[in-house]
Amino acid sequence: MSAPVEQEYEALLQFMYMAPIGLVQTLADGEITMVNPLCAQLLMPLSPDGQLANLFTALEAVVPDLRQRVREFPDAHGTICDAQQVPISTGQAGRRQHQVLSLTLLKLDAERLMAVLSDVTQSVRRERELRQSQAWINTLAIGLSDYALVSLDHHGCVQDWNPSISRITGFSREQVEGRSLSLFYPADAMSDQRVLDRLHEADLTGWSLDEGWCVRAEGGRYWGSCLIAPLHDSDDDPSDEHAYSLIIRDVSDRREAAEAMLKAVSCDHLTGLFNRRAFVEAAELEMQRWARSPRPLSLVMIDADHFKRINDQYGHVTGDGVLRHMAASMTATFRAMDVLARFGGEEFIVLLPDTSLEGAELVAQRLCRLIEATPAVVGEHTVRYTVSAGVAAMDADATDFDALVQRADEALYAAKAKGRNRVERWQPATLPAAVR
Amino acid sequence: MNTEHTVSFADAAILDFLERASDAELDGLDFGVIGMDDASHVTRYNRFESAAAGLSPDRVLGHALFTVVAPCMNNFMIAQRFEDAQQDGSALDDTINYVLTLRMRPVKVKLRLLARPGSALRYVLVHRQT
Repeated sequence: MSAPVEQEYEALLQFMYMAPIGLVQTLADGEITMVNPLCAQLLMPLSPDGQLANLFTALEAVVPDLRQRVREFPDAHGTICDAQQVPISTGQAGRRQHQVLSLTLLKLDAERLMAVLSDVTQSVRRERELRQSQAWINTLAIGLSDYALVSLDHHGCVQDWNPSISRITGFSREQVEGRSLSLFYPADAMSDQRVLDRLHEADLTGWSLDEGWCVRAEGGRYWGSCLIAPLHDSDDDPSDEHAYSLIIRDVSDRREAAEAMLKAVSCDHLTGLFNRRAFVEAAELEMQRWARSPRPLSLVMIDADHFKRINDQYGHVTGDGVLRHMAASMTATFRAMDVLARFGGEEFIVLLPDTSLEGAELVAQRLCRLIEATPAVVGEHTVRYTVSAGVAAMDADATDFDALVQRADEALYAAKAKGRNRVERWQPATLPAAVR
Repeated sequence: MNTEHTVSFADAAILDFLERASDAELDGLDFGVIGMDDASHVTRYNRFESAAAGLSPDRVLGHALFTVVAPCMNNFMIAQRFEDAQQDGSALDDTINYVLTLRMRPVKVKLRLLARPGSALRYVLVHRQT
């Protein structure tokens, strides 16, 4: 005998209430029609208006391109995004919590969307550790026939000559002995400070691995995988006796696959710059470096002026073209070691390691002048537009990265208030730190 | 006969009322009442809340509020507030705007969070906004 339908309904209802995963169904424009409690728990702290009327609105600050991706999705039904990782920070000032959400969005039909949200903070952390171990094993196991091996002193300068260096990089003994390992990288990719950071990270975790463009003696580029591992036994040694081995491999044949993967996971769909997730990950690393040894670290927040007017006058497609133009102008202006990202809507953010407030301000001004002088050409439209920027630098009074972002945001607000198309620095006295 | 609606959602002394009210009196109220003990297990659940959520009290009583009954409140905006008050031994009486997912529909509500040192139970009151 089966239970009465009312009881079954109640049991089903409770099943949905207790489901440890967020489920939400919406109309094509994002309007929420059904939502379960866990989804509300995850979304409410993000919702800018304190409501749960629209999914796109609730996620706007952290996944700005969602509405557009739904609009541009070509099929009648299917997966629009699959377990996309979304970093968020919630909580009150001073007690902020960093979490990673996973978002899957399905188009059910022309009228309905369904999203699955879950908190994957712990598994992301575990994955990252696993990825590092994997990289280490790969380096040991693959391509051992073709590598350059160098030993480095505690400044990151080359100690001993090894013929493999010449084979891979083309540099001669005279060119490398006593020189910093930054010599193997493009000029704007590796500062002296960053060299020390990598040595320190190798001390902490047993290795420091990165993959990216490297340069040969004659100036040509190749895609290199570079591993630094400590040669000394433990941290007990005096630090000036520390020594490291550097292994460089030319993995140019892997570059396309590596870049494509990096792009899929880390880049904003529209502009190709980092997405929020990748930016936050990079920023966390810089903050750890800063906390260990404070050095100049600046942040620039950039926003297109009167962007709504551009959208209203020319339409969204042209608006998107302007955002692409803005991203390209930024890439042309900032250095390879700077971290560029789309932070939300028409708002962009740049983290500048080893750069003072004054330095960051100069670069931001250069960007303002460049964009003012170079209109975006999108289809048949030539759109003249300007940007405003706020600049802030890290110091001991800024408790965490969110505080630095807040400062840049306040400076950006000041730039807007003073008439736009300009750069403002954060001033300690201008505004009290407002609680978001 | 006029025990119904004797107390309003915003009443300043509502905690006193809740502490001495019978289950029948709670059932007469026109807003939801959820009472929980020190371990956040639900010990009181009135008729209004039961009807709004679509759950009978026997499915809810004795279960953990923030994990089993109302996971949507398990964040810094609500659960954390109760935890903080418990840890500091301080009183809590705050009303916030929130959205509950009653029968899977987003429903705008005002929540009143109540706790005070020495009281056996802590309360969440739920008032539907129209």
